[in-house]
Amino acid sequence: MTGKTSPRRLEAGELELGGGLEVLLAAALEGMPAGARLEVLTPSRSTALELPSWARAAGHEAVGERTASGGPHAVEIERSPFARVLAEPLPARGRGPRLRDGELHTADLRPPAEVPAHVAAVAGLTPLGAVAERGAPAFRWKLNERDAIWADDVSELTEQASAAQWDASRDIPWEAARGLPDFLERAVSQVMTFIAQNEYAALYVPAGFLADVNPAYPEMLMWLSSHVHDEARHVEVFTKRSLIGGQPGYALAATELSLHTLLDERDFSGAALLLNVLGEGTFLDLLRFVEHHAPDAATRAAAALAHRDEVRHVHFGISHIRRHIAADPDQKAALIGAAERRAAKLTEMSGLSPLLTEGLTVMAAGSLQPAELARGATDVRTLMRTMEGNRIKRLGAAGFDARDSQHLSDLHTPNLM
Amino acid sequence: MSRAGAEVRVGAVAYHPRIVTIWEAFLEHFDREGVPTDYILYSNYDRLVEAVLAGDVEVGWNTNTAFVALERRLGGEARILGMRDIDSQFATLIVTRRGAAFGEVGELAGRRLALGSRDSGHAAILPLHYLAEQGLDAASECELVRFDTDLGKHGDTGDSELRVIRAVAEDSADAGALGEPTMAAFRADRVPAVADLEVAWRSPTYYHCNFSALPSLDDALARRWAEALMTMSYDDERMRQAMDLEGVKRWLPGDRAGYESLATAMDKT
Repeated sequence: MTGKTSPRRLEAGELELGGGLEVLLAAALEGMPAGARLEVLTPSRSTALELPSWARAAGHEAVGERTASGGPHAVEIERSPFARVLAEPLPARGRGPRLRDGELHTADLRPPAEVPAHVAAVAGLTPLGAVAERGAPAFRWKLNERDAIWADDVSELTEQASAAQWDASRDIPWEAARGLPDFLERAVSQVMTFIAQNEYAALYVPAGFLADVNPAYPEMLMWLSSHVHDEARHVEVFTKRSLIGGQPGYALAATELSLHTLLDERDFSGAALLLNVLGEGTFLDLLRFVEHHAPDAATRAAAALAHRDEVRHVHFGISHIRRHIAADPDQKAALIGAAERRAAKLTEMSGLSPLLTEGLTVMAAGSLQPAELARGATDVRTLMRTMEGNRIKRLGAAGFDARDSQHLSDLHTPNLM
Repeated sequence: MSRAGAEVRVGAVAYHPRIVTIWEAFLEHFDREGVPTDYILYSNYDRLVEAVLAGDVEVGWNTNTAFVALERRLGGEARILGMRDIDSQFATLIVTRRGAAFGEVGELAGRRLALGSRDSGHAAILPLHYLAEQGLDAASECELVRFDTDLGKHGDTGDSELRVIRAVAEDSADAGALGEPTMAAFRADRVPAVADLEVAWRSPTYYHCNFSALPSLDDALARRWAEALMTMSYDDERMRQAMDLEGVKRWLPGDRAGYESLATAMDKT
């Protein structure tokens, strides 16, 4: 055995290849420079006979073997010149992210300044902080610009979404929904069917963008996943409410037309304006109305829980649009353009479906008596005014001036979403 | 890009679908090195040797058995253009059940010895040869348990060696021969049958595969192609996967020194 310097020594003890010795060997060789030598001592002749082929398979070289009389077998291995992983070395161990009372929040995984403004479209599925090995197949992500998708509080919103999960099978007092009179069940079911129909669109829109987001923005992936999951539960709960009373409602073609145009929007920010700010924003008022006027506790609970989720979605939309416009004021015109294009496609829509306004009126009245119906109709008119007023406020919060806010609100679909 | 005008056609045996993956990556490497190359696959080494002799391919990616067969047919020396690092230090192991290892090969007399495909240099021909050199005529003194699977592929598939180690593990053989790299791969893959086996014997080293060509291949072309092969780097991320599949970390020029034992062994058969 010849070596420029004396080799490091590793006592294999009773360990064998395939039985843990390979772990010790890899750890020892990992820390050695190319060409350095490791002498492995083993009492097992079998292991000594196998070590050279193990070394070659791992790219190293067995450069000497000997057996001292009565002593252990020794195999000298020269470390491979090849990198085991084709990547930069791992950074030195740091402190790791901070904890808040023992909780590890997504927002604390990296400071906002470290969220890259642009990432390579070909980036791989590399978890935050990980060092990517070269040679992986290239992806072609479409959303690779932070400012095109980001909201400053996206991590906190994701956190809230995780904490606010609920169960549409068990958290709703379903028994309470049984036994409404026919006229009332029919009205409630029509409203529930309408909401469920709209929740489908609220699911498909973020789902359509989810798979385009570059994996370098995991906070966005978590956020959109939570959004999709929320909407799936909304579809679930409002479908269940429409069925529990035994009286299905209509899925209206006019609603479908409106939602179809919403799904046509393929720009992330355009969709955030149309869905999160305008559509879900308007639905906040609708859900509050349903919660207030629900004739049964199940309908009330479904509307309240969905409302809680929609608040997050609307918050994201406002936060994103505000950031988007602040980063590039020219985007304001593009966003207004998206709303105008959608409105142009909806010219054949005359207004909110009479079946829905009638349903809401009966729900609010709780009876078919003229006096109560009149009160119900007044409540629905008030709802429409509230919707418009709040829509304009949200648009203002998103960064539009009063004139643009009024214009955008006027362009909004009569279908509410 | 059409490969119709490739300067070098390499013949290889399609013992596994991954051969296509390997060669598609290798062709890109040869393109980058300016020696446009194509590959043609054969189902067995007899056909590949015929193809080299007939000039259907300029280069054959031959096992040691195929290389010796090629030279026999030539009646002279073929040209060696390169080999893998592992081809230059190949050995055969004989394994037994744990605790049943033998000290001298003579102790195998009267025992059951499992061998891989009879056309495999490393799993059948050479173990018999080296045991004979060390004084054991296994063909007459042992009960041979042969697994002649995938004949024509010279043991490339590893199937017969898997049967060998299972036979030993299940006590339907007392000892079994297989190639060193196959054993290393079984260990790495945690193949259950090897867990209770130990290595009792290792043969002297010999050469395994090589890229071989007829002596008439143009010198300059042969040199350019071999140089292009040698530049292939395991640290090149475009090549690592294909090189892992081919079991090579580094290509070596190769020579004839390590084929004598097999030629001698095949002369006797």
